[in-house]
Amino acid sequence: MRKGTLALLILLLVDSLGAADDPVVLIAYPGLPKADQPSIQRLYTGRIVSVGQQSAVPVNLPAGHPVRQQFLETILGQDEGQYTGYWLVRRYVGKGAPPQELRDVDEVLRYVSETPGGVAYVPASRVPAGANVIFRR
Amino acid sequence: MKIGFFPLLVSLLPCSAGAVDLTWSGFGTVGYALSDQPYKYQRFIDDQGTFKRDSILGAQLDVKFNPEWGATVQARLAPSAENDSAWAATMSWAFVSWRPQDDWLIRVGKLRLPLMLNTENRDVGATYEFARLPIEVYSIAPTTDVVGLSVSKTWLTGRFDWTLEGYTGKMPTYWRYYQRDVGVNSQNPGSYFVELDVKSSGLVLTARDIDNVFRIGVHEVEATRVGDTSHADIPYRPLAPGIGFYDIEGARRIDKMIIPVQTLGASVLLPGDFRVTGEYARIKVDSSSQGLTRWGAYLAVSRQFGDWTPYVYYAKMKSPDDVLERYKAINGNRVPPLPPPYDATRINQSQKLAADILSPYDQWTAALGTSYRLTPTSVLKAEWSHTRSGVVSSFIDAPSGSDSSDRHINVFSLSYSFTF
Repeated sequence: MRKGTLALLILLLVDSLGAADDPVVLIAYPGLPKADQPSIQRLYTGRIVSVGQQSAVPVNLPAGHPVRQQFLETILGQDEGQYTGYWLVRRYVGKGAPPQELRDVDEVLRYVSETPGGVAYVPASRVPAGANVIFRR
Repeated sequence: MKIGFFPLLVSLLPCSAGAVDLTWSGFGTVGYALSDQPYKYQRFIDDQGTFKRDSILGAQLDVKFNPEWGATVQARLAPSAENDSAWAATMSWAFVSWRPQDDWLIRVGKLRLPLMLNTENRDVGATYEFARLPIEVYSIAPTTDVVGLSVSKTWLTGRFDWTLEGYTGKMPTYWRYYQRDVGVNSQNPGSYFVELDVKSSGLVLTARDIDNVFRIGVHEVEATRVGDTSHADIPYRPLAPGIGFYDIEGARRIDKMIIPVQTLGASVLLPGDFRVTGEYARIKVDSSSQGLTRWGAYLAVSRQFGDWTPYVYYAKMKSPDDVLERYKAINGNRVPPLPPPYDATRINQSQKLAADILSPYDQWTAALGTSYRLTPTSVLKAEWSHTRSGVVSSFIDAPSGSDSSDRHINVFSLSYSFTF
């Protein structure tokens, strides 16, 4: 049990160290135009549903995922509590539900490659060759 | 709301919708409130304690057909709006939304109106820090829901998102009255509910950024009593010099009431992470229930310390002075023994009834409370509030033989709100 906990801590530490050298970038289904940071913020907070006049369907990684945490902090400027709290209110004022959550980066990559309008954040090191990167800090 | 309404709306959606994204969520509050008085306040709170004032259970289904089309259904189980002893399962929302562009949102169906800052999410305690939204303000609008249409346009400027929302719709609703002595249709004291058909239209401007929100709205409500007309006033009938009575049976009748409502609110994050929230609403009702004409306001200060958010607020609501004076005149009016055909006992009983029908408000509340976030989606809240009535408050079910003037009520509230 203790060994397992230690391994998890090391994994999280390696993850967080790696995050500094592996920035999050936004990728999208082919053809979706480039976006700026305010547009990404609005897209992930439900205030816009398109990028460059084209429908966009963002997806999230699950709450607590290190890549999601990095995205929230560096791109949206929020922590998990603020982001969850924001969507909690938005959902219950009848302005929609938060982006769908996919299990892991592999699923996100598959989703973006197959879904017209799909948008997602992934570590720069995981961007497939030829992918449509629409935002990079 | 009829069950078939929502499927009908959904059936009107474009059939080209591909993969439909369904999201279920639920919410609830288990809330206990206890006062130090034997009579009821806000329908349920007395010194026996109650779970009925604040407890609620709900579920919501959000359906996303594509980025432009969606639908939302929300149902809830809560104390009935037309009966003090029953619980009722009702459909709070059932609407289809269409967002043809980023800046336009059109919703059709059963909607909750953008009245005060937390009107739309008032059933979901996890979305705000107060143990109970100040009733002095949140009770003012005659209805918070309509079946109708809402159109909103948003301007995304540098810092603020500006949203102008217009709505129109109709809905049956209930107004609660409390008779201290004799009732309208019986000799027993107690509450009774008048059913009204309400049409409501309004225009609301909201400016919002990540930390602050400002809102102003103008609304007009047309209320028609179901199956009956409304009394326009309570005229005074002189019988002799210095002797007379307020006549609730021979009053002029009107088919409908036109009720203007104005709302104003702001919640601002100040330096030092202090949040100041203030809201104001006023309403004008020209009927025998002239006391419903009133204003209400509150000012709250809160600050987040990690998971804790302590707050204080002061709230006040008041009917116009001339209406409160009229209440005093009606409530205190007595006739001496009279010769036939007059029945002095019956007339004197009717004066209390007439005063209660006037339904005026004059009270303030000071509250001190805190919320504690267990998780981003669940919160514990505790609050002590002190309410004082002035001339009268129709939120207080005054005991028979007395009235609700100059009452002091301490209320202790503890609740757990969650979403999942």
